[in-house]
Amino acid sequence: MKIVRKVTAGIFLIFIVCISIVPFLWVLSSSFKGNAEIMSSAIGFSGGLRFDNYIKAFQMAPMVTFYKNSIIVAVLSTILNLLVFSMAAYVLVRCKFRLNGIITMLFSAALVIPGAALLQPLYQTLNTAHLYDTLTGLIIVYAALGMPTTLYIMMSYYKTISSTLEEAAYIDGAGFFQTFARIVLPLTRPAFATAGVLQFLLCWNEFQFALTLTTGTEQRTLPIALYYFKSAFASDYGAMFAATVLVTLPSIVVFVLMQKQVISGLAAGAVKE
Amino acid sequence: MKRQKKWIAIFLAPALALFGFVFLISIIRLGITSFTDWTIGTSPTFAGLDNYIYLITEDKEFRQSIVNTLIWIVLQATIHVSIGTILALIIRRQKWYTNFMRSVFMIPNIISSAALGMLFLCIMNPEFGMVNQIIRAVTKSDFSKNWFMGVDTAFFTVTMTWLPYAGLVTILVMAEMASISEGVLEAARVDGATDFQIDTRIVLPMMRNIIGTSTVLAATSMLQKLDIIMMTTNGGPAGKTMNMPLYLYRTALTNNNYGLANTQGVILILMGLIIVALVRGIYRMDKE
Repeated sequence: MKIVRKVTAGIFLIFIVCISIVPFLWVLSSSFKGNAEIMSSAIGFSGGLRFDNYIKAFQMAPMVTFYKNSIIVAVLSTILNLLVFSMAAYVLVRCKFRLNGIITMLFSAALVIPGAALLQPLYQTLNTAHLYDTLTGLIIVYAALGMPTTLYIMMSYYKTISSTLEEAAYIDGAGFFQTFARIVLPLTRPAFATAGVLQFLLCWNEFQFALTLTTGTEQRTLPIALYYFKSAFASDYGAMFAATVLVTLPSIVVFVLMQKQVISGLAAGAVKE
Repeated sequence: MKRQKKWIAIFLAPALALFGFVFLISIIRLGITSFTDWTIGTSPTFAGLDNYIYLITEDKEFRQSIVNTLIWIVLQATIHVSIGTILALIIRRQKWYTNFMRSVFMIPNIISSAALGMLFLCIMNPEFGMVNQIIRAVTKSDFSKNWFMGVDTAFFTVTMTWLPYAGLVTILVMAEMASISEGVLEAARVDGATDFQIDTRIVLPMMRNIIGTSTVLAATSMLQKLDIIMMTTNGGPAGKTMNMPLYLYRTALTNNNYGLANTQGVILILMGLIIVALVRGIYRMDKE
Protein backbone atom coordinates (compact mmCIF):
# COMPACT_ATOMS: atom_id res chain seq x y z
CA MET A 1 0.00 0.00 0.00
CA LYS A 2 2.73 2.38 1.03
CA ILE A 3 4.81 1.46 -2.00
CA VAL A 4 1.89 2.07 -4.35
CA ARG A 5 1.39 5.49 -2.84
CA LYS A 6 5.07 6.35 -3.13
CA VAL A 7 5.16 5.33 -6.78
CA THR A 8 1.99 7.27 -7.57
CA ALA A 9 3.42 10.33 -5.87
CA GLY A 10 6.66 9.89 -7.82
CA ILE A 11 4.83 9.67 -11.13
CA PHE A 12 2.80 12.75 -10.21
CA LEU A 13 5.98 14.73 -9.41
CA ILE A 14 7.64 13.69 -12.67
CA PHE A 15 4.49 14.64 -14.57
CA ILE A 16 4.51 18.10 -12.94
CA VAL A 17 8.17 18.69 -13.80
CA CYS A 18 7.59 17.53 -17.37
CA ILE A 19 4.62 19.77 -18.12
CA SER A 20 6.30 22.73 -16.43
CA ILE A 21 9.67 22.83 -18.12
CA VAL A 22 9.78 20.39 -21.03
CA PRO A 23 7.78 22.66 -23.38
CA PHE A 24 10.14 25.53 -22.66
CA LEU A 25 13.28 23.39 -22.98
CA TRP A 26 12.01 21.97 -26.27
CA VAL A 27 11.39 25.45 -27.69
CA LEU A 28 14.75 26.61 -26.35
CA SER A 29 16.62 23.75 -28.02
CA SER A 30 14.63 24.09 -31.26
CA SER A 31 15.49 27.78 -31.41
CA PHE A 32 19.08 26.79 -32.14
CA LYS A 33 18.13 24.50 -35.02
CA GLY A 34 17.59 25.10 -38.71
CA ASN A 35 14.08 24.73 -40.18
CA ALA A 36 14.95 21.40 -41.80
CA GLU A 37 16.10 19.95 -38.49
CA ILE A 38 13.00 21.23 -36.70
CA MET A 39 10.80 19.42 -39.19
CA SER A 40 12.68 16.15 -39.02
CA SER A 41 13.80 15.28 -35.51
CA ALA A 42 12.73 16.06 -31.98
CA ILE A 43 16.09 15.67 -30.27
CA GLY A 44 19.75 16.40 -30.96
CA PHE A 45 21.68 19.06 -32.83
CA SER A 46 22.87 17.37 -36.02
CA GLY A 47 23.67 20.74 -37.58
CA GLY A 48 25.38 22.16 -34.50
CA LEU A 49 24.25 25.16 -32.45
CA ARG A 50 23.03 27.97 -34.68
CA PHE A 51 22.15 31.48 -33.76
CA ASP A 52 20.66 32.52 -37.13
CA ASN A 53 17.14 32.19 -35.77
CA TYR A 54 17.79 34.93 -33.25
CA ILE A 55 19.34 37.16 -35.90
CA LYS A 56 16.34 36.49 -38.13
CA ALA A 57 13.90 37.26 -35.31
CA PHE A 58 15.54 40.64 -34.86
CA GLN A 59 15.39 41.27 -38.60
CA MET A 60 11.77 40.23 -39.08
CA ALA A 61 10.35 42.37 -36.28
CA PRO A 62 11.67 45.51 -34.58
CA MET A 63 12.50 43.50 -31.48
CA VAL A 64 14.86 46.18 -30.16
CA THR A 65 12.03 48.72 -30.03
CA PHE A 66 9.74 46.22 -28.31
CA TYR A 67 12.41 45.37 -25.77
CA LYS A 68 13.07 49.03 -25.11
CA ASN A 69 9.34 49.73 -24.66
CA SER A 70 8.84 46.77 -22.36
CA ILE A 71 11.78 47.81 -20.18
CA ILE A 72 10.70 51.46 -20.00
CA VAL A 73 7.11 50.57 -19.16
CA ALA A 74 7.98 47.88 -16.62
CA VAL A 75 10.64 49.92 -14.79
CA LEU A 76 8.80 53.24 -14.65
CA SER A 77 5.47 51.68 -13.81
CA THR A 78 7.06 49.67 -10.99
CA ILE A 79 8.65 52.83 -9.57
CA LEU A 80 5.39 54.77 -9.81
CA ASN A 81 3.39 51.92 -8.30
CA LEU A 82 5.77 51.44 -5.35
CA LEU A 83 6.06 55.15 -4.66
CA VAL A 84 2.34 55.87 -4.68
CA PHE A 85 1.10 52.80 -2.85
CA SER A 86 3.84 52.55 -0.24
CA MET A 87 2.77 56.03 0.88
CA ALA A 88 -0.94 55.21 0.77
CA ALA A 89 -0.46 51.92 2.59
CA TYR A 90 1.54 53.65 5.33
CA VAL A 91 -1.20 56.15 6.04
CA LEU A 92 -3.90 53.48 5.90
CA VAL A 93 -2.07 51.34 8.46
CA ARG A 94 -0.71 54.00 10.81
CA CYS A 95 -3.19 56.87 10.86
CA LYS A 96 -6.70 57.00 12.23
CA PHE A 97 -9.10 59.09 10.17
CA ARG A 98 -12.74 58.91 9.26
CA LEU A 99 -12.48 57.65 5.66
CA ASN A 100 -9.81 55.04 6.41
CA GLY A 101 -12.12 52.01 6.32
CA ILE A 102 -13.94 53.12 3.19
CA ILE A 103 -10.76 53.82 1.26
CA THR A 104 -9.21 50.50 2.23
CA MET A 105 -12.38 48.72 1.12
CA LEU A 106 -12.55 50.61 -2.19
CA PHE A 107 -8.93 49.78 -2.95
CA SER A 108 -9.35 46.08 -2.22
CA ALA A 109 -12.52 45.92 -4.32
CA ALA A 110 -10.31 46.53 -7.35
CA LEU A 111 -8.97 43.00 -6.89
CA VAL A 112 -12.18 41.34 -8.08
CA ILE A 113 -12.71 43.45 -11.22
CA PRO A 114 -11.90 41.43 -14.35
CA GLY A 115 -9.53 43.45 -16.53
CA ALA A 116 -11.48 42.81 -19.71
CA ALA A 117 -14.42 44.80 -18.32
CA LEU A 118 -12.21 47.91 -18.22
CA LEU A 119 -10.91 47.66 -21.79
CA GLN A 120 -13.41 49.93 -23.51
CA PRO A 121 -13.85 52.52 -20.71
CA LEU A 122 -10.07 52.86 -20.31
CA TYR A 123 -9.63 53.22 -24.05
CA GLN A 124 -12.15 56.05 -23.89
CA THR A 125 -10.55 57.71 -20.87
CA LEU A 126 -7.05 57.56 -22.30
CA ASN A 127 -8.31 58.95 -25.59
CA THR A 128 -9.84 61.91 -23.81
CA ALA A 129 -6.68 62.46 -21.80
CA HIS A 130 -4.52 62.24 -24.96
CA LEU A 131 -2.69 59.28 -23.48
CA TYR A 132 -3.91 56.72 -26.01
CA ASP A 133 -1.05 54.99 -27.82
CA THR A 134 1.58 56.38 -25.46
CA LEU A 135 3.95 54.59 -23.12
CA THR A 136 2.88 57.06 -20.41
CA GLY A 137 -0.68 55.80 -20.67
CA LEU A 138 0.46 52.21 -20.23
CA ILE A 139 2.69 53.15 -17.29
CA ILE A 140 -0.22 54.80 -15.47
CA VAL A 141 -2.67 51.96 -16.17
CA TYR A 142 -0.20 49.27 -15.07
CA ALA A 143 0.70 51.16 -11.90
CA ALA A 144 -2.99 51.12 -10.96
CA LEU A 145 -3.53 47.49 -12.03
CA GLY A 146 -0.89 46.35 -9.56
CA MET A 147 -2.48 48.38 -6.79
CA PRO A 148 -4.28 45.61 -4.84
CA THR A 149 -1.18 43.41 -4.62
CA THR A 150 1.27 46.17 -3.73
CA LEU A 151 -1.08 47.68 -1.21
CA TYR A 152 -1.62 44.31 0.42
CA ILE A 153 2.05 43.46 0.67
CA MET A 154 2.99 46.91 1.98
CA MET A 155 0.14 47.05 4.49
CA SER A 156 0.85 43.64 5.96
CA TYR A 157 4.53 44.57 6.24
CA TYR A 158 3.91 47.89 7.99
CA LYS A 159 1.74 46.05 10.49
CA THR A 160 4.71 43.90 11.50
CA ILE A 161 6.94 46.92 12.25
CA SER A 162 6.58 48.25 15.77
CA SER A 163 5.69 51.94 15.85
CA THR A 164 7.97 52.74 18.82
CA LEU A 165 10.77 53.91 16.52
CA GLU A 166 8.43 56.33 14.79
CA GLU A 167 7.12 57.64 18.12
CA ALA A 168 10.69 58.20 19.28
CA ALA A 169 11.40 60.13 16.10
CA TYR A 170 8.35 62.36 16.68
CA ILE A 171 9.47 63.06 20.25
CA ASP A 172 12.87 64.05 18.86
CA GLY A 173 11.04 66.60 16.75
CA ALA A 174 11.07 64.87 13.37
CA GLY A 175 8.18 65.70 11.04
CA PHE A 176 5.73 63.27 9.47
CA PHE A 177 7.47 63.06 6.12
CA GLN A 178 10.93 62.94 7.66
CA THR A 179 9.93 60.04 9.90
CA PHE A 180 8.47 58.18 6.94
CA ALA A 181 11.46 58.74 4.66
CA ARG A 182 14.26 58.26 7.18
CA ILE A 183 12.87 55.70 9.64
CA VAL A 184 10.08 53.72 7.98
CA LEU A 185 11.25 53.35 4.39
CA PRO A 186 14.64 51.79 5.21
CA LEU A 187 12.88 49.20 7.38
CA THR A 188 10.45 48.34 4.58
CA ARG A 189 13.08 47.36 2.02
CA PRO A 190 12.06 43.64 1.89
CA ALA A 191 8.44 44.55 1.14
CA PHE A 192 9.62 46.84 -1.67
CA ALA A 193 11.60 43.98 -3.18
CA THR A 194 8.62 41.64 -3.05
CA ALA A 195 6.04 44.08 -4.36
CA GLY A 196 8.53 45.36 -6.92
CA VAL A 197 9.21 41.95 -8.47
CA LEU A 198 5.51 41.12 -8.71
CA GLN A 199 4.74 44.50 -10.26
CA PHE A 200 7.61 44.16 -12.72
CA LEU A 201 6.38 40.74 -13.85
CA LEU A 202 2.84 42.06 -14.19
CA CYS A 203 3.99 44.87 -16.50
CA TRP A 204 6.38 42.68 -18.44
CA ASN A 205 3.72 40.05 -19.15
CA GLU A 206 0.60 42.20 -19.57
CA PHE A 207 -1.24 41.67 -22.82
CA GLN A 208 -4.84 42.87 -23.08
CA PHE A 209 -4.33 46.51 -22.13
CA ALA A 210 -1.18 46.83 -24.18
CA LEU A 211 -3.18 45.46 -27.09
CA THR A 212 -6.12 47.82 -26.63
CA LEU A 213 -4.35 50.99 -25.55
CA THR A 214 -1.57 51.15 -28.12
CA THR A 215 -1.74 50.99 -31.87
CA GLY A 216 1.59 51.74 -33.51
CA THR A 217 4.71 49.58 -33.63
CA GLU A 218 6.54 52.40 -31.88
CA GLN A 219 4.62 51.89 -28.61
CA ARG A 220 4.22 48.14 -28.57
CA THR A 221 5.57 45.92 -25.83
CA LEU A 222 6.98 42.40 -26.22
CA PRO A 223 3.86 40.26 -25.58
CA ILE A 224 1.96 42.28 -28.19
CA ALA A 225 4.85 41.95 -30.59
CA LEU A 226 4.47 38.18 -30.38
CA TYR A 227 0.83 38.53 -31.30
CA TYR A 228 1.32 40.83 -34.26
CA PHE A 229 4.26 38.97 -35.67
CA LYS A 230 2.74 35.55 -35.12
CA SER A 231 1.82 35.31 -38.78
CA ALA A 232 5.13 36.75 -39.94
CA PHE A 233 7.01 34.26 -37.79
CA ALA A 234 4.74 31.39 -38.82
CA SER A 235 6.55 31.10 -42.14
CA ASP A 236 9.83 30.68 -40.31
CA TYR A 237 9.54 28.30 -37.38
CA GLY A 238 13.07 28.88 -36.18
CA ALA A 239 12.48 32.62 -35.80
CA MET A 240 9.19 31.90 -34.04
CA PHE A 241 10.99 29.75 -31.48
CA ALA A 242 13.68 32.37 -31.01
CA ALA A 243 11.13 35.14 -30.50
CA THR A 244 9.28 33.03 -27.90
CA VAL A 245 12.53 32.49 -26.01
CA LEU A 246 13.37 36.20 -26.18
CA VAL A 247 10.05 37.13 -24.54
CA THR A 248 10.02 34.34 -21.97
CA LEU A 249 13.61 34.34 -20.77
CA PRO A 250 13.60 37.70 -18.89
CA SER A 251 10.60 36.61 -16.78
CA ILE A 252 12.26 33.31 -15.93
CA VAL A 253 15.56 35.01 -15.04
CA VAL A 254 13.83 37.57 -12.82
CA PHE A 255 11.85 34.81 -11.13
CA VAL A 256 14.85 32.54 -10.56
CA LEU A 257 16.90 35.40 -9.09
CA MET A 258 14.08 36.72 -6.91
CA GLN A 259 12.02 33.60 -6.23
CA LYS A 260 12.24 34.00 -2.46
CA GLN A 261 10.57 37.42 -2.72
CA VAL A 262 7.99 36.27 -5.24
CA ILE A 263 6.94 33.22 -3.23
CA SER A 264 6.82 34.99 0.13
CA GLY A 265 4.98 37.92 -1.40
CA LEU A 266 2.28 35.81 -3.03
CA ALA A 267 1.88 33.84 0.19
CA ALA A 268 1.70 36.95 2.39
CA GLY A 269 -1.02 38.42 0.23
CA ALA A 270 -3.43 35.52 0.49
CA VAL A 271 -2.68 33.75 3.76
CA LYS A 272 -3.29 36.71 6.02
CA GLU A 273 -6.65 37.43 4.45
CA MET B 1 -2.96 66.65 14.72
CA LYS B 2 -3.88 69.31 12.17
CA ARG B 3 -0.46 68.89 10.62
CA GLN B 4 -0.95 65.16 10.39
CA LYS B 5 -4.21 65.64 8.51
CA LYS B 6 -2.34 67.53 5.84
CA TRP B 7 0.13 64.69 5.48
CA ILE B 8 -2.60 62.06 5.33
CA ALA B 9 -4.10 63.94 2.41
CA ILE B 10 -0.75 64.31 0.66
CA PHE B 11 0.10 60.63 1.10
CA LEU B 12 -3.27 59.42 -0.13
CA ALA B 13 -3.84 61.84 -3.01
CA PRO B 14 -1.69 60.11 -5.66
CA ALA B 15 -3.20 56.70 -4.86
CA LEU B 16 -6.71 58.07 -5.01
CA ALA B 17 -5.93 59.81 -8.29
CA LEU B 18 -4.62 56.59 -9.87
CA PHE B 19 -7.54 54.59 -8.51
CA GLY B 20 -10.03 57.15 -9.75
CA PHE B 21 -8.46 57.47 -13.20
CA VAL B 22 -8.21 53.76 -13.92
CA PHE B 23 -10.95 52.08 -11.87
CA LEU B 24 -13.57 54.54 -10.68
CA ILE B 25 -14.07 56.47 -13.93
CA SER B 26 -14.15 53.18 -15.85
CA ILE B 27 -16.80 51.64 -13.63
CA ILE B 28 -18.98 54.73 -13.80
CA ARG B 29 -18.63 54.75 -17.59
CA LEU B 30 -19.47 51.03 -17.71
CA GLY B 31 -22.54 51.34 -15.56
CA ILE B 32 -23.98 54.27 -17.49
CA THR B 33 -23.16 53.22 -21.04
CA SER B 34 -24.41 49.66 -20.51
CA PHE B 35 -27.91 51.16 -20.71
CA THR B 36 -27.24 52.98 -23.97
CA ASP B 37 -27.17 52.26 -27.65
CA TRP B 38 -23.67 53.35 -28.63
CA THR B 39 -21.51 52.43 -31.58
CA ILE B 40 -18.39 54.10 -32.98
CA GLY B 41 -19.03 57.52 -34.46
CA THR B 42 -22.40 57.99 -32.74
CA SER B 43 -23.12 59.38 -29.33
CA PRO B 44 -24.77 57.17 -26.73
CA THR B 45 -28.56 57.23 -26.61
CA PHE B 46 -30.53 55.80 -23.72
CA ALA B 47 -31.83 52.32 -24.48
CA GLY B 48 -32.93 51.00 -21.11
CA LEU B 49 -32.36 47.29 -20.67
CA ASP B 50 -32.20 46.60 -24.44
CA ASN B 51 -28.54 45.51 -24.37
CA TYR B 52 -29.08 43.14 -21.47
CA ILE B 53 -32.20 41.65 -23.05
CA TYR B 54 -30.51 41.23 -26.42
CA LEU B 55 -27.44 39.53 -24.94
CA ILE B 56 -29.42 37.13 -22.80
CA THR B 57 -32.24 36.22 -25.18
CA GLU B 58 -30.89 36.65 -28.70
CA ASP B 59 -27.11 36.60 -28.89
CA LYS B 60 -26.20 32.93 -29.41
CA GLU B 61 -22.47 33.61 -29.58
CA PHE B 62 -22.58 35.40 -26.25
CA ARG B 63 -24.46 32.48 -24.75
CA GLN B 64 -21.80 30.08 -25.99
CA SER B 65 -19.09 32.30 -24.53
CA ILE B 66 -20.87 32.21 -21.16
CA VAL B 67 -21.23 28.42 -21.29
CA ASN B 68 -17.55 27.96 -22.16
CA THR B 69 -16.48 30.39 -19.45
CA LEU B 70 -18.64 28.59 -16.88
CA ILE B 71 -17.21 25.18 -17.82
CA TRP B 72 -13.70 26.57 -17.50
CA ILE B 73 -14.54 28.15 -14.13
CA VAL B 74 -15.82 24.83 -12.78
CA LEU B 75 -12.82 22.90 -14.10
CA GLN B 76 -10.40 25.45 -12.70
CA ALA B 77 -12.13 25.59 -9.32
CA THR B 78 -11.99 21.81 -8.95
CA ILE B 79 -9.26 20.04 -10.94
CA HIS B 80 -6.78 22.92 -11.02
CA VAL B 81 -7.08 23.56 -7.28
CA SER B 82 -6.84 19.82 -6.55
CA ILE B 83 -3.64 19.44 -8.55
CA GLY B 84 -2.00 22.31 -6.67
CA THR B 85 -3.20 21.02 -3.30
CA ILE B 86 -2.09 17.43 -3.96
CA LEU B 87 1.38 18.61 -4.92
CA ALA B 88 1.56 20.70 -1.74
CA LEU B 89 0.62 17.63 0.32
CA ILE B 90 3.26 15.50 -1.40
CA ILE B 91 6.12 17.95 -0.97
CA ARG B 92 4.94 19.18 2.44
CA ARG B 93 7.59 17.29 4.43
CA GLN B 94 10.79 19.12 3.58
CA LYS B 95 12.67 16.92 1.15
CA TRP B 96 15.58 17.73 -1.11
CA TYR B 97 13.24 18.42 -4.00
CA THR B 98 10.63 20.51 -2.17
CA ASN B 99 11.93 23.94 -3.14
CA PHE B 100 12.89 22.74 -6.60
CA MET B 101 9.39 21.42 -7.27
CA ARG B 102 7.72 24.54 -5.97
CA SER B 103 9.84 26.82 -8.15
CA VAL B 104 9.65 24.70 -11.30
CA PHE B 105 5.87 24.49 -11.04
CA MET B 106 5.70 28.26 -10.72
CA ILE B 107 7.53 28.96 -14.00
CA PRO B 108 4.49 28.59 -16.30
CA ASN B 109 2.65 30.99 -13.99
CA ILE B 110 5.21 33.77 -14.17
CA ILE B 111 5.94 33.85 -17.90
CA SER B 112 3.72 35.99 -20.07
CA SER B 113 0.52 34.25 -21.19
CA ALA B 114 1.16 35.45 -24.71
CA ALA B 115 4.50 33.66 -24.66
CA LEU B 116 2.90 30.62 -23.08
CA GLY B 117 0.38 30.64 -25.93
CA MET B 118 3.23 30.82 -28.45
CA LEU B 119 4.97 27.99 -26.62
CA PHE B 120 1.87 25.84 -26.92
CA LEU B 121 1.40 26.78 -30.57
CA CYS B 122 4.90 25.44 -31.13
CA ILE B 123 4.61 22.18 -29.21
CA MET B 124 1.10 21.40 -30.52
CA ASN B 125 1.92 22.23 -34.14
CA PRO B 126 0.51 19.53 -36.43
CA GLU B 127 3.71 19.11 -38.45
CA PHE B 128 6.73 19.75 -36.28
CA GLY B 129 5.19 20.04 -32.79
CA MET B 130 6.69 18.04 -29.96
CA VAL B 131 3.44 16.31 -29.04
CA ASN B 132 2.72 14.95 -32.50
CA GLN B 133 6.37 13.97 -32.96
CA ILE B 134 6.27 11.94 -29.76
CA ILE B 135 3.00 10.26 -30.77
CA ARG B 136 4.46 9.51 -34.20
CA ALA B 137 7.59 8.02 -32.65
CA VAL B 138 5.63 5.88 -30.20
CA THR B 139 2.95 4.62 -32.59
CA LYS B 140 5.20 4.53 -35.64
CA SER B 141 2.37 6.06 -37.63
CA ASP B 142 1.74 9.17 -39.69
CA PHE B 143 -0.11 10.84 -36.83
CA SER B 144 -0.94 14.46 -37.55
CA LYS B 145 -3.59 16.16 -35.48
CA ASN B 146 -4.27 19.86 -35.58
CA TRP B 147 -4.85 20.20 -31.85
CA PHE B 148 -5.81 23.86 -31.71
CA MET B 149 -7.87 24.00 -34.89
CA GLY B 150 -9.65 20.66 -34.77
CA VAL B 151 -13.32 21.03 -33.81
CA ASP B 152 -13.11 18.06 -31.47
CA THR B 153 -9.78 18.90 -29.82
CA ALA B 154 -9.68 22.72 -29.58
CA PHE B 155 -11.51 23.08 -26.27
CA PHE B 156 -9.45 20.36 -24.64
CA THR B 157 -6.16 21.75 -25.95
CA VAL B 158 -6.91 25.30 -24.80
CA THR B 159 -7.95 23.95 -21.39
CA MET B 160 -4.61 22.19 -21.07
CA THR B 161 -2.75 25.47 -21.44
CA TRP B 162 -3.87 26.49 -17.94
CA LEU B 163 -5.60 23.64 -16.12
CA PRO B 164 -2.49 21.76 -14.89
CA TYR B 165 -0.45 24.86 -14.04
CA ALA B 166 -1.39 25.28 -10.41
CA GLY B 167 1.93 26.56 -9.06
CA LEU B 168 0.27 29.48 -7.33
CA VAL B 169 -2.16 27.17 -5.51
CA THR B 170 0.78 25.06 -4.31
CA ILE B 171 2.61 28.11 -3.00
CA LEU B 172 -0.44 29.42 -1.15
CA VAL B 173 -1.37 26.07 0.40
CA MET B 174 2.25 25.41 1.44
CA ALA B 175 2.49 28.79 3.12
CA GLU B 176 -0.60 27.96 5.17
CA MET B 177 0.76 24.49 5.97
CA ALA B 178 3.85 26.08 7.44
CA SER B 179 1.65 27.64 10.12
CA ILE B 180 0.38 24.29 11.47
CA SER B 181 1.95 23.63 14.85
CA GLU B 182 4.22 20.58 14.97
CA GLY B 183 2.57 19.58 18.27
CA VAL B 184 -0.71 18.67 16.59
CA LEU B 185 0.97 16.43 14.03
CA GLU B 186 3.25 14.91 16.67
CA ALA B 187 0.22 14.03 18.83
CA ALA B 188 -1.44 12.29 15.87
CA ARG B 189 1.73 10.34 15.16
CA VAL B 190 1.96 9.22 18.80
CA ASP B 191 -1.63 8.01 18.55
CA GLY B 192 -0.57 5.82 15.65
CA ALA B 193 -1.90 7.80 12.68
CA THR B 194 -0.23 7.01 9.36
CA ASP B 195 1.17 9.75 7.14
CA PHE B 196 -1.78 9.32 4.84
CA GLN B 197 -4.25 9.73 7.69
CA ILE B 198 -2.42 12.80 8.95
CA ASP B 199 -2.56 14.34 5.48
CA THR B 200 -6.23 13.68 4.83
CA ARG B 201 -7.76 13.93 8.31
CA ILE B 202 -5.69 16.66 9.95
CA VAL B 203 -3.74 18.76 7.46
CA LEU B 204 -6.34 18.99 4.70
CA PRO B 205 -9.27 20.15 6.88
CA MET B 206 -7.00 22.86 8.31
CA MET B 207 -6.43 24.13 4.77
CA ARG B 208 -10.10 25.00 4.22
CA ASN B 209 -9.62 28.75 4.19
CA ILE B 210 -6.60 28.86 1.91
CA ILE B 211 -8.15 26.33 -0.48
CA GLY B 212 -11.17 28.62 -0.56
CA THR B 213 -8.95 31.61 -1.35
CA SER B 214 -7.16 29.60 -4.06
CA THR B 215 -10.50 28.60 -5.52
CA VAL B 216 -11.61 32.24 -5.66
CA LEU B 217 -8.39 33.18 -7.46
CA ALA B 218 -8.54 30.20 -9.83
CA ALA B 219 -12.21 30.68 -10.69
CA THR B 220 -12.01 34.44 -11.22
CA SER B 221 -8.87 34.03 -13.34
CA MET B 222 -11.15 32.40 -15.92
CA LEU B 223 -12.89 35.75 -16.33
CA GLN B 224 -9.54 37.21 -17.43
CA LYS B 225 -8.30 34.71 -20.01
CA LEU B 226 -7.85 36.66 -23.20
CA ASP B 227 -4.20 36.60 -24.21
CA ILE B 228 -3.65 32.86 -24.43
CA ILE B 229 -6.85 32.29 -26.42
CA MET B 230 -6.03 35.12 -28.81
CA MET B 231 -2.59 33.66 -29.36
CA THR B 232 -3.78 30.12 -30.02
CA THR B 233 -7.32 29.66 -31.37
CA ASN B 234 -8.74 33.17 -31.32
CA GLY B 235 -12.04 31.71 -30.12
CA GLY B 236 -12.36 29.25 -32.98
CA PRO B 237 -13.06 26.86 -34.51
CA ALA B 238 -16.74 27.82 -34.77
CA GLY B 239 -16.76 29.50 -31.37
CA LYS B 240 -15.66 26.31 -29.60
CA THR B 241 -13.13 28.21 -27.48
CA MET B 242 -14.84 31.59 -27.31
CA ASN B 243 -15.01 33.01 -23.81
CA MET B 244 -16.48 36.16 -22.29
CA PRO B 245 -13.37 38.39 -22.29
CA LEU B 246 -12.61 37.56 -25.92
CA TYR B 247 -16.20 38.16 -26.99
CA LEU B 248 -16.18 41.47 -25.14
CA TYR B 249 -12.93 42.43 -26.83
CA ARG B 250 -14.42 41.64 -30.25
CA THR B 251 -17.62 43.53 -29.57
CA ALA B 252 -15.70 46.59 -28.42
CA LEU B 253 -12.71 46.68 -30.74
CA THR B 254 -13.68 44.75 -33.85
CA ASN B 255 -17.39 45.55 -34.09
CA ASN B 256 -17.02 48.85 -32.24
CA ASN B 257 -20.34 48.33 -30.48
CA TYR B 258 -19.42 50.09 -27.25
CA GLY B 259 -22.84 49.92 -25.57
CA LEU B 260 -23.06 46.17 -26.01
CA ALA B 261 -19.45 45.67 -24.95
CA ASN B 262 -19.93 47.63 -21.75
CA THR B 263 -23.06 45.67 -20.91
CA GLN B 264 -20.87 42.57 -21.16
CA GLY B 265 -18.38 44.32 -18.90
CA VAL B 266 -21.06 44.83 -16.27
CA ILE B 267 -22.11 41.18 -16.56
CA LEU B 268 -18.47 40.13 -16.25
CA ILE B 269 -18.02 42.12 -13.04
CA LEU B 270 -21.29 40.77 -11.61
CA MET B 271 -20.17 37.21 -12.39
CA GLY B 272 -16.91 37.88 -10.57
CA LEU B 273 -18.80 39.06 -7.49
CA ILE B 274 -21.17 36.09 -7.59
CA ILE B 275 -18.25 33.66 -7.85
CA VAL B 276 -16.50 35.24 -4.87
CA ALA B 277 -19.69 35.08 -2.78
CA LEU B 278 -20.45 31.52 -3.89
CA VAL B 279 -17.00 30.12 -3.14
CA ARG B 280 -16.84 31.92 0.18
CA GLY B 281 -20.18 30.32 1.04
CA ILE B 282 -19.19 26.83 -0.08
CA TYR B 283 -15.96 26.92 1.92
CA ARG B 284 -17.66 28.68 4.83
CA MET B 285 -14.84 31.23 4.73
CA ASP B 286 -16.63 33.85 6.79
CA LYS B 287 -17.05 31.56 9.78
CA GLU B 288 -14.28 30.17 11.88
